[in-house]
Amino acid sequence: MKYWWKALGVLIILYILLVGMLTPLKTGILEASPANLHTGQEATLTVKGYNSNFTLEKEKLRAWLKMDSTRAIAATRIDVVDDREVKLTFPIPAYLPVDQPVKDFTLLIDSPADGASVLPGGLVVTQDSIDTTKGDLLWVNADISQLHEKQAFTFPYRNILYETIRNTYYHVPMWMAMFIILTAGVVFSIRFLWKANPDDDRKAMALTNVGLFLGILGIVTGAIWAKYTWGKFWSWDVKQNMTAIALLIYGAYFVLRGSFEDPEKKARISAVFNIFAYASLVPLLYIIPKLTDSLHPGAGGNIAFGSQDLDNTMKLVFRPAIIGWTLIGLWIAEIILRTARLRERLLED
Amino acid sequence: MNLFAQIYHLVRKEFTLEWRQKFAITGILLYVLSTVFIVYISFQNIGPQVWNVLFWVIMLFASVNAVLKSFVQESGYRQLYYYQLLHPIAILLSKMIYNAALLLLLGVLTFVALGFVAGNPVQEAGNFALALFLGSLGFSITFTFVSAIAAKADNSSTLMAILSFPVVIPILLLLVNLSAHAVGLLGGTEIWEKIMLLAAVDLILVALALVLFPFLWRD
Amino acid sequence: MDRKQFNGLNMLKATKKASTTLALSLFPFSFLLAQEDTDFLRSMGKMYVVVAVLAAIFIGIVIYLVYLDRKLTKLEDQIKNHE
Repeated sequence: MKYWWKALGVLIILYILLVGMLTPLKTGILEASPANLHTGQEATLTVKGYNSNFTLEKEKLRAWLKMDSTRAIAATRIDVVDDREVKLTFPIPAYLPVDQPVKDFTLLIDSPADGASVLPGGLVVTQDSIDTTKGDLLWVNADISQLHEKQAFTFPYRNILYETIRNTYYHVPMWMAMFIILTAGVVFSIRFLWKANPDDDRKAMALTNVGLFLGILGIVTGAIWAKYTWGKFWSWDVKQNMTAIALLIYGAYFVLRGSFEDPEKKARISAVFNIFAYASLVPLLYIIPKLTDSLHPGAGGNIAFGSQDLDNTMKLVFRPAIIGWTLIGLWIAEIILRTARLRERLLED
Repeated sequence: MNLFAQIYHLVRKEFTLEWRQKFAITGILLYVLSTVFIVYISFQNIGPQVWNVLFWVIMLFASVNAVLKSFVQESGYRQLYYYQLLHPIAILLSKMIYNAALLLLLGVLTFVALGFVAGNPVQEAGNFALALFLGSLGFSITFTFVSAIAAKADNSSTLMAILSFPVVIPILLLLVNLSAHAVGLLGGTEIWEKIMLLAAVDLILVALALVLFPFLWRD
Repeated sequence: MDRKQFNGLNMLKATKKASTTLALSLFPFSFLLAQEDTDFLRSMGKMYVVVAVLAAIFIGIVIYLVYLDRKLTKLEDQIKNHE
């Protein structure tokens, strides 16, 4: 089997399509209403769950309003309406032990069937008057312990993202495969300058072509995803801009190639440009996003996609996805390379 | 002649040539002045943020025009003559040094002109001067090398813009970011990190240009 | 109604018809332009965004295949002319 890697690529893509699309999300909290509560109120919240099974073992359902890492209020009444809806009653004290007029709370629900689910910062409590000493006296702290964890193969649930978390396997690896393939292209450009073998230049050209294609795919899929999570197709995000610049650079590479007649000169000069452009691109892609705020993960001020998101389950799909898309890219590059070789043979005759 | 002597003589030659045919430098001077004036009459009120961006955009376009002539507009016979006599690294380095000096002058000029019509928002003069220095160095390295590439192709003036703008964007972004500190738009302590970064990018590009340049010349 | 006017009217009608056909044929994609209120893509936990991304990838690959196919066809023609 000479072409085993092509079959491997296809198998991996099949695997990420199947597992990536069929694995359910973890249980989450869609919304809780009313979102604005007052002190001294017996607040009843209507909570909507996502992929939840509230009716299973509903006696063992527990809920808290978490104020900070140590303090929380436990729910006194839990009425399960159906699998997706539950009514929770919290006694909110007349004074809170904090001196902020408005304090945000995190809702936490724990069930043996679904595990623990969180609605981060979704609720605010307004204090009519502030008195922290009274607040300390009135506070009945509830201990959050023995949380359950869902024992199933699931992807994390994130508000705003919801099911689109699966795009991690179809959008992010495009970008990484692009980077791998463009790097391979530069390696062949260097090799061409080293050994002056015209085939190396053809390889660099084919790989760069595929890299450009993957970059365009990455930008298009990213724009669709961005529209439905951040609100706009183009959100002036650093990584989006960087990728656009990368595409411009490699577009320029092909313009440069097109402006030469002599094949040896074309190969040599475009190899030089490829290496130089790549070197100026690397700081762009790696350092600048870290300096500026980005909506993408790994940058400042971003809560949508923390480190815990790429959990072990997701890594099981995400890492093969990078390899899979790279192999598919290499396959296309090989086809372009063979076409270019044929053209060369034709010109030689 | 050793390498340094060659570089010294070539840089001196560039300056003498420039001095003799003053139209080139006068042309760029007029270019900067008229751009600044056009920008001023279209904006009238220029805040620090706009000032910062405009300064670097004017610099960018003026630099491309200034550097364009280093390889693209030089006659083929003169080039051929150099290549038989001199080391390619000496040729490239001398052009880069000369262009960096030219761009530094251009930057000071743009700064004076823009400061004259639109006011001077720069609060940390030292940082701004450093940004200007590293910026002209970076622009000079990138544009000189790209013009050497573009000179090899036909209709090289157009190619120069297409090739150089995307390549220079990383440096430009860092520069705008750095001088945003100098005009007081950004606070924070990471300014030295950015200066080091810019210097590192300049260094990498110049090293790479020196390694790659001999390959461009094998005609 | 003189002939010229009639022709103009006919043309207008034809254009209208064409634009309606175009609009109808584009209809399946009009959901891409949907805003917050009429939202198909946001339903079912935004599942259809994933579908749209997969569709975009597929369309991208098809366009790329067509481009490669045309390049190969050109090459084949050259070989045929050569022989």
